[in-house]
Amino acid sequence: METATTEYSRRRWLTFLLGTSLGATLVSFLYPVLRYLVPPETSEPSLSEVELDVKASDIAPNSGRIVPFSGKPVILFRTAAGELRALTATCTHLACTVQYRGDRSDIWCACHNGVYDTNGTNISGPPPRPLTRLDVAVRGEKIVIRRA
Amino acid sequence: MSSAAPDRGPLGAALAWVQDRIGWEGIAHLAEKKQVPIHRYTIYYYLGGMALFLFLVQVATGILLLLYYRPSASEAFESVQYIMAEVPFGWLIRSIHSWGANIFVGVIVAHMLSVFFLRAYRAPREMTWITGALLLFLALGFGFSGYLLPWNTLAFFATKVGTDVPAQLPGLGPLLSRILRGGSDVTGATLSRFYGIHVAILPAITTVLLGAHVVLVQQKGMSVPLSVESKKYRTMKFVPDFLLRDAVGWLVAVGLLAALAAFFPWELGVKADPFSPAPAGIRPEWYFLSMFQGLKYLPAEIAGVPGEMVGVLFFGLVGAVLVLVPLLDRRASRGLPSPWWNRLAVLALIGALVLTILALRPPPGAAP
Amino acid sequence: MRGALAAAAILAGAALALGQSAPKPKPGASGAAPPAAAPAARIGCVTCHLALDDARVSPPAKLFADDIHAKSGFTCANCHGGDPTTEDMDAAHDAKKGFRGKPKTADVPALCGNCHADAALIKKYNPSQRVDQLSEYKTSGHGKALAKGDATVATCISCHGAHGILPVKDSRAPVFPTRIAQTCNRCHGDAKLMADHKLPSDVYAKYAKSVHFEALTKKGDLSSPTCNSCHGNHGAAPPQVASVANVCGTCHTIFADQFKQSPHAKAFADMGLPGCVTCHENHEIVHPTDAFLSTGKDGKCSACHDAGTEGARAAAAMYRDITALKTATEKARAALEREAEAGMLVAKPQFELSKAEEDLTKARADVHLFRPYEVQQTVAGGLTIATTAKAQAAQLARERGFRRKGLGLSLVLIGLSIAALVAKIRTLGPGEKP
Repeated sequence: METATTEYSRRRWLTFLLGTSLGATLVSFLYPVLRYLVPPETSEPSLSEVELDVKASDIAPNSGRIVPFSGKPVILFRTAAGELRALTATCTHLACTVQYRGDRSDIWCACHNGVYDTNGTNISGPPPRPLTRLDVAVRGEKIVIRRA
Repeated sequence: MSSAAPDRGPLGAALAWVQDRIGWEGIAHLAEKKQVPIHRYTIYYYLGGMALFLFLVQVATGILLLLYYRPSASEAFESVQYIMAEVPFGWLIRSIHSWGANIFVGVIVAHMLSVFFLRAYRAPREMTWITGALLLFLALGFGFSGYLLPWNTLAFFATKVGTDVPAQLPGLGPLLSRILRGGSDVTGATLSRFYGIHVAILPAITTVLLGAHVVLVQQKGMSVPLSVESKKYRTMKFVPDFLLRDAVGWLVAVGLLAALAAFFPWELGVKADPFSPAPAGIRPEWYFLSMFQGLKYLPAEIAGVPGEMVGVLFFGLVGAVLVLVPLLDRRASRGLPSPWWNRLAVLALIGALVLTILALRPPPGAAP
Repeated sequence: MRGALAAAAILAGAALALGQSAPKPKPGASGAAPPAAAPAARIGCVTCHLALDDARVSPPAKLFADDIHAKSGFTCANCHGGDPTTEDMDAAHDAKKGFRGKPKTADVPALCGNCHADAALIKKYNPSQRVDQLSEYKTSGHGKALAKGDATVATCISCHGAHGILPVKDSRAPVFPTRIAQTCNRCHGDAKLMADHKLPSDVYAKYAKSVHFEALTKKGDLSSPTCNSCHGNHGAAPPQVASVANVCGTCHTIFADQFKQSPHAKAFADMGLPGCVTCHENHEIVHPTDAFLSTGKDGKCSACHDAGTEGARAAAAMYRDITALKTATEKARAALEREAEAGMLVAKPQFELSKAEEDLTKARADVHLFRPYEVQQTVAGGLTIATTAKAQAAQLARERGFRRKGLGLSLVLIGLSIAALVAKIRTLGPGEKP
């Protein structure tokens, strides 16, 4: 009689152990899956289009700034006439980052004095090729750059 | 069939109502009746269940990956990078899917070898073998099409080589290669195509074949090897005895997959650049290595026929023989041992193993 | 005296040819060219010259069809004189009608200059084209030697061709940027001819190893210098020692400015050393390496600065700083690439690191100030960025490591489940007997 009781409680305990451990394991499987289903805060993955943390009004006419675009610098500037433009900012000579020169309204590389015009065309100094033009759009307040 | 008991409460009543509608008793009866023989080869019975489990893991992780993956040449790599780097536990899901794919192929190869050497394909289980062999090809198709989807350099060039293989076939070969690539070369069109193949075409065919395979296994019951058949052996119930043991294996598999994902997250590689020259040391997934290496060693011409064509035709022949083994092995179907088939299989295995090892050696002219 | 006579004769001949009438002092200026009889005139010479099938007389007629001058309406007679309207050979080649035959080498520059130095005439065809070629030529090594009676030197036609003259911007022209070096090399690679003039004949071979040749021919950068960029084209002569830095500085402005501020500017001038060329060679201008600063076989500084001197210490300091930044950026780049291949997002640190790589380029440029402090300042900024990038890569690697903690918990639960399952299986018994 006594063995039957212990046998019974042993079985109950085993069933409990089996249930909880399998249940906990299942939870440990489901937790990552549920977390996975919730999309991250960051914007969607895309190399061809990037929304910048820059307001269109932040860029005054005849000035520019460097912004990252898929790990590479891009020069975003407003021409003296007020048009927003974006060009790859990597100098085609030795890959330095170029800058906008307000006093001459051109794009200049400080490393070896390469000069580009606001269309990205190399006009003076060692750069062998023009900079690549990118599309710029203003969506609401934000500026969006896209591969042309 | 009605078995509603008055003392079950509302939940029990609902359960009984559902059981009544789906013919649960019949299923329960089948499960109750099913027995698994116990002998020295019983361990091999678990491989089929393991393969099925890993397949379901692939289905589950694959569906999850679909939520973020984008099948285009310009975004595929970035979306996989996004999954790996930004999505919570994305690295886990993707790594399990990649590791799981490789282990899955390994398990079904082991499953097939055990079935082969135990002659489980002999009458009346020929159709079980044939559906199984076709499922192996489908698994290889899953592997081949899935390999390209992250759109990295290695996969891109391996796919270039791989899709060139059918082009070697006489007659319709070049057309076949074009159909596979969605054009004359591997491009973004190939990616769209492989995506469709990977997530729609192959799953549809697999569902049908896998269903047939599992139903056949249930219908015919477990095969007992020739050497055991004549002796007396114990049996265990499929439910719960065998199923619980299966579950142990599955839990080990999940643990292993999670550990592999955490310690060796599947590499993302470098984004494919169709215009860059092929990098040194491109190779396909391990299960294609022996074929890949075999084609390399073939001379340009064999008896006036292009060497690669001979090679591809040979692989086709091997595949056909593999599917038709139960029909070709007449002795086994009469319940007699067929040692020649064993020797042939061992020879083929050694050949494949040697070629795989040769393919794994670092290339002699490896880039410094 | 002889030269003056010849020039007078050419002038007269050209006048005849252009004007088709009584000689005027400057027919071109009168605006009479091209002559109205041009089509007929062309037919006159070409009819016979093409038909004759003589290697001496028919090729010029064939080549001239593609000549820029022919396309602008000029004819054979504009240079050769004679009467193109007649088909009578003697009449056509009548010296009285100004026929001159093949101009002598010494006469060629003046013959071309007849039109090309005439601003009013050239303006009618190409208003932006220069008209100072003849006066420039007279300042060149070639022009000076020709004036002294050396007829082996180059004249206009040596480079531009005589009958198939193409515009400079035509890629088939021998004076197109990518072809100039080979054109010069036709004479300057001739060992015997150069020996006669006491000039080296290996300049092309050396130039072909230079960065400029590579940029010009392999990268298709037509702004990359070839012979004429440094030596001048019509006024071809080697730059003088004192002007080397100016010549290189037309493109390499930053280096030229830095060099002029550097202690080397005065020292080189005092010693008569040719600026940039002292370290970079003149024709064989190879890719400069950091090893230029070393004391190894590529080292340039050690040629003048003996070990232990201040100059040698300065070179060593710059070499050490630049090498340190180079190593740091390369290591950081490699570490980030490893993380990227493992699937981590490295766009931001990679972007930051590119600034350190830019500092490296700047530091290499700063060497031309020859002041170690300047290099050190630039390097210090780059090193900070590279160290940060490397730390970010290490952080990403650790992040991958953290995943193992979650795995541990999961594995404990799986292990527990397996244990419970095994215990349960044990209660099931050994199975049924047959």
